[in-house]
Formats: sequence, structure tokens, C-alpha cells
Amino acid sequence: MIGLQHYLTIAAVLFALSVAGIFINRRNLILLLMCIELMLLAVNFNFIAFSRHLGDETGQIFVFFILTVAAAEAAIGLAILIVIFRSRRTINVRELDSMKG
Amino acid sequence: MNLTDLLPAAPEMTLLGLICVVLLADLFVEDEKRVITFWLTIAALFITGTSLVLTAQETRTVLFDGSYVSDPLSHVLKLTAVGVVAIGFMYARDYLHQNKLFKGEYYVLGLFGLLGTMVMISANSMLTMYLGLETLSLSLFALVAFDRNSATAAESAMKFFVLGAIASGALLYGISWIYGITGSLQFHEISEAIRTNPEINAVPLWFGLAFVIVGIGFKFGAVPFHMWLPDVYQGARSPVTLYIATAPKLAALALTLRILVDGFSGLHEVWQGMIMVLAVLSLVIGNVVAIAQTNIKRMLGYSAIGHVGFILLAVFCGTGQGYAAALFYTLTYVVMAAGSFGMVILLSRQGFEAELLSDFKGLNARSPWFAFMMLFFMFGLAGVPPWVGFFAKLNVISAVLDAGFPGLAVLMVLAAVVGAFYYIRVVWLMYFESAEERAILQAKVDTRFILSLNGLAVLAIGLMPGWLLSLCMRVLG
Amino acid sequence: MFQAVLFYFFAAALFAAALGVILSRNPVHAALFLVLAFFQSAVLWLLAEAEFLAIVLVLVYVGAVMVLFLFVVMMLDVDVERVRGGLTRYAPFGLLVAALMVIELVQVIWFRGRTDAGLGGFQPTPDGYSNTKALGAILYTEHVYAFEIAAVILLLAMVAAITLTMRKRPGLKVQNIAEQVAVKAKDRVRIVKMETEKRQ
Repeated sequence: MIGLQHYLTIAAVLFALSVAGIFINRRNLILLLMCIELMLLAVNFNFIAFSRHLGDETGQIFVFFILTVAAAEAAIGLAILIVIFRSRRTINVRELDSMKG
Repeated sequence: MNLTDLLPAAPEMTLLGLICVVLLADLFVEDEKRVITFWLTIAALFITGTSLVLTAQETRTVLFDGSYVSDPLSHVLKLTAVGVVAIGFMYARDYLHQNKLFKGEYYVLGLFGLLGTMVMISANSMLTMYLGLETLSLSLFALVAFDRNSATAAESAMKFFVLGAIASGALLYGISWIYGITGSLQFHEISEAIRTNPEINAVPLWFGLAFVIVGIGFKFGAVPFHMWLPDVYQGARSPVTLYIATAPKLAALALTLRILVDGFSGLHEVWQGMIMVLAVLSLVIGNVVAIAQTNIKRMLGYSAIGHVGFILLAVFCGTGQGYAAALFYTLTYVVMAAGSFGMVILLSRQGFEAELLSDFKGLNARSPWFAFMMLFFMFGLAGVPPWVGFFAKLNVISAVLDAGFPGLAVLMVLAAVVGAFYYIRVVWLMYFESAEERAILQAKVDTRFILSLNGLAVLAIGLMPGWLLSLCMRVLG
Repeated sequence: MFQAVLFYFFAAALFAAALGVILSRNPVHAALFLVLAFFQSAVLWLLAEAEFLAIVLVLVYVGAVMVLFLFVVMMLDVDVERVRGGLTRYAPFGLLVAALMVIELVQVIWFRGRTDAGLGGFQPTPDGYSNTKALGAILYTEHVYAFEIAAVILLLAMVAAITLTMRKRPGLKVQNIAEQVAVKAKDRVRIVKMETEKRQ
């Protein structure tokens, strides 16, 4: 019987993968943004699993809002990316080191 | 349900309506008359503040099926937030003019951030807290990147964005666990579930709480989640730094108090340890690293981390006295931070960013009154009596002592002494070094007036801290 | 049983797609892997009877957000070869953190979970239950405040994105719609009277 624990496990693995992705891809900002989307997807799995387990729709409402906010967040993130690219002609994370201290 | 039942939420609705007015009006204003947008914004803030005062009440009201709470704490925090945002806009006007950044969007984004702060302050459920947090964060990301020609601004905006989004992810993951275990998103229901059902007080719930505290730590800029803060303080244009140093701190305090006190006071022993680690690390690292800085914005950034250590230690006590001390500290800190960044803005001119500590050399010879005001802010932040920072620190230390942690109190005193060094260094530079520059600071009369008021307030509250203290005790005691 | 087979199949595909996202260094490949991951997730949500969100995930994410990502990837004209260049030195550390997190989380999920039930099942839904209807019923009543704030966030994102990226370049040719619409035939067409040429 597939149930709560199975979905929570999926969420846990996805969350861990996205964290690993953030460490691995310290090169390309676009990949970093995609890892963040993956992280939010993991959170959504958790909410849906708990919502179905509790028989309470509030968790699914939360997912609905996370989807909305994530879309807005992606738009702003990509806008900042474009600003960076226009001023530096690169999106390599390692080159973003003009400030130290 | 009557429409009048929604009256406690009137300030947010008023502000949202006025944001739309500013946004639309700005479309029809020509570039030379952009100052109209500025005054409209100030008017919007004034009307919002008035509506806050008019709808304030002593009782606690919960609206929108438990999404929204209006209580004395929320009135105090919101009114302060509106005030510091207005002050910040006043200081920024000339600077934005000179740097060709005087655009309506700056004010619209600032007002959106204020709305997010107000939503967070009045949140009664994880859902509204999260949405308010995102409203605030998204406006901050855009504000930091606002100067599109500055590569450092874009870079710091990207760092801020990536780390902020990861922190939101961690916060949400924690919230999802808390929701799954307690079965609710509303703070009083979570608290009720913990009280009535002791067996849920186990590893999975602590686990969720730990992720939430990571989110809180990031939003406050507490060590080890502080990486973004110095870069953003330095990389953003000074008016944006002023904004980030003020209203979001109030929002972070609301986030902490609502979640940890309203929701998880039953799990005080569990979160106390985590908060202590964040607070002690922030105190030590913030104050020590600040000494090594040559850039004043970066120095104030590290010092902000140190101040967050004080605020978190006050929350750590878990007593009404501690929460009141945290509120007092945050309220007075944002007033002082607004003033000191106001001075940084004032010192900058066209094409010249007054960022280095050496830019303050000999300020007394150039503009004695402004140097005197800066002395007020620095002494206030350092905690020299009788300026207000002294009482803020004293409150926190006595709260920690009363909660029975003398070791932490000693640590705080040491941190305050170390911290005093780099603030007083600024005063030294202003009074005892000779100026490299002779120009007298230019400022409009209204800016001058408000800066003086701001500086005198730091002294006046310090001389008479009683009323603010009793106010803090009343709303949180 | 059939459901379990489907679940494991799609879960495996989801993990494979997620690995593809984090390991591929060409942003276009990563974006397409992410699209695949979203599709697998949507199917898994359908299996959990969260139909509305499954559809929304496909519409909003695959239809809008990922297209935006791809659009930006194409627009930026990033030098893929230069950005590529092997994994970072943090890679072993990142994988270690991920492995530790999975072990911890699995331990919490399977062994420290609720003591009352061995395996937490899902609540059975009543006959004639409509997921969309149930969500709609509380979205516009209980959560109307959150709904309004979400609207504010979308407006804010729009203002922010336009502020950051719109710029007026000198010499850029733009349409003036009002002028185009207001144009009259006599502004554009000139009727010239000419003598017909004589046949030679």
C-alpha cells in the first residue's frame, strides 16, 4: 500500500538532490535557479502527502500558493540574471567575487 | 460578516490601494516632475500611519478565519515600520536625484516591501507569514538590483536572491513537517496541539522546527546564515541599504515572535538551544569581524549581525521580560540604523559614494552639526550611556540574568565592549583627524530637520526610556 | 498492486530526471530534464488524488515557468563551453551532505514517525468527491486573505521584472500603435494624375 511515508521519502530525496545540486553547480546561475525550483517541488510533495494523510485540504492550498510565488520568484530571479549578464557578460558564479571582507 | 468587522485590517487595505494610486499616477508624471511621485508616496505613508493609529485597539482580534491577527504588538511594530520607511525615503531623495535613480518604481517597490512587512507582523498562520515574507523578499531583491548600471549591485542582488530562495525552501520544508504533525497552519492551533497531545513532541516535530529556525536565522542575518548580509549592505546603493537595515529587521522580529512564541512556546526547551547557538555566534563573529572593515556600509552590516545576536539572546530567555527586551532593542536599533545610514547617504554626492571610513575624517571641521548627529548615532549603537542603545543592551542583559544565564550575560558585556571600539573609531575620525575634503554637506531643510530629529530621538529616548519600556512590557508582558 | 508498480516506476523516473537536472551542465538539457521531473511529479500527484494541483503543475510550471527559463537561456547566448568545465571542488562535499540528509530523513520518516500507525495511509475520499471543487470552496472563503496577497505578489513581480529589464535603447525602432491606428488613407496614398503614355 502506497502511503504517506513513500511520498515523504520522495520529497526527502528530491530535497537532498536539490541541495547537492546547489553545491555541485556553483558555476552556472541558471542551473542554480533550477535547483531552487526542484527544492520547492520537494516541499510540495511533503505538503500534498500530509494533506492527503490528514484529509485536510489546507495543505493543498499551501501548494497552490507556493506554485504562484515560485513563478513570481523565477521571474525576478531571471530578471536579475539578465541584469548581471548585461553588465558582466557572464553568469559564472565564480566570477561573482568583487566584494571581500 | 459585516464589512466593519474587517476594520482592523484597514491599514493594509489602505496601503495596498495607495500603492496602486502611486503606481498609476507615476505613469502620467513627466521625468522633471517626478517629485510628485515622491510626495504622493510620503502622503500614502502618512495616511497609512493615520489609519494605523485610528484602528489601534487594546484587544486581540483574529480575522479572515485565523489568517490575520491584530494586537497591540502589531500596532507598535507596524507604526515603527511606516515611520522608518518614510524617514528612509526622505533621506534618499537628493541622493536618488543626483545619481539618476529618481524613479517611481523605487517608491512602489519600497511600499510593496512595507506591505509585506505589515502582512508578516499581522500573520496568524504559516501561510500568511510565508506570503508576507515573499512579498518583502521579492521587493528587496528588486530594490538591491535597482541600479542596473552597477555591476556590484547586480552581483549582491543575485547572492541575496539565491540564498534567500534557499532559505525560503528550508523554511517551507520545516513548515510542511509542522503542518503534517500538528495538523494545522495557524499558530494558536499549533500551540494547542502541542499542549493537548504531548506525544507529538518528538523528533519529527523538532526536525521541522530546526528547518524553520534556519529560515529565521537567514532572514535576521544571524551567523552562520549571514553570508549575504555584508555583501548586500555594501553592494546595494545606500538608500536601499538603509531600507534593508530597518523595516525587514522589524519583520524578522515579528517572524520570530509569532512562530516561536505564539506557536511554539510549548517547545521552549527545544528551540532555546538552537537560538542560543545562532545568537552567540552572531555576537562574536559580527562584532569581531566589524573591527577589520574599512567600508562603513560593510562595517555597519557586520555590526547589524552583532545586534541580531543581542535580539536573539533576548528571545532566547523565553520570558515576557526577554520578549519585551527584544522588542525594545529592535525598535531602538532601527531608529539608530536609519540615522547612521542617513548620514552615509548625506555624505555621498554626485558620482561619489561615501563608503569608506576615511570619508568621515574631519567631518567636524566641515559640518559640525552633522558630525554631532553622527556621534549620537555611533554612541547609541555602541551603547554609551545615556544614549538609548545603553538601555537596550541593559534590558537584554538583565533579562538573560533573570533567566539564569550569567555566562551569556558576561559574553554580551564583552561583545558590547568590543563593539564600542569600532563605533568610537568613527567618532575619533570625525573629531581628531584632519579632513581630506573641505566641502560642506549640502542638504535640503526638511532632510536636515528630520535627521536632527532622528539624532535627538536617540538621545531623548535614552534619557527617558521609561515610557517605551513600559509600552514594550505592556504589549508583550 | 498496479498502483504500487506505477508509483515506483514514476518515482524512479523522477529521481533520474532530478539527477539529470543537477548533473547536466548544458542549461538547455537541464531545463528539459526539469520539465520531465515536473511531468513525473504531476503523475505522482494524480496517484495521490491531488488532481487539481497535478494539472496546475503542468500548466504553470511546464507551460510558463520552464518556457521562461528556456527563453532566458536562449536569449543570453551564454558561452556553454566556458561555463561547463567539470564539477566544482565542492562536488564530493555536496554529495556527502545529500547522502547524510537522505539517511537522516529516511530514518525520521520510517522509524521515528507516528507511533499509532505503522504505515500512514491516505484518507479515503467520499464518493463524488471533486478535488477542484473542494479546493475552490476554501480558497475563496477561508484563504481569501492569502489569495489577495498572492495577487499582490504577482503584481509586484511584474513591476520588478519590468523595472529591472526594460530599457530604452537609442536608435531602437518601435511601433507607435496610436499613430498607426489613427492613420488615414490620404496620409499614405497619394493619387497622382499622369498623362497616359502614347503608344509608340
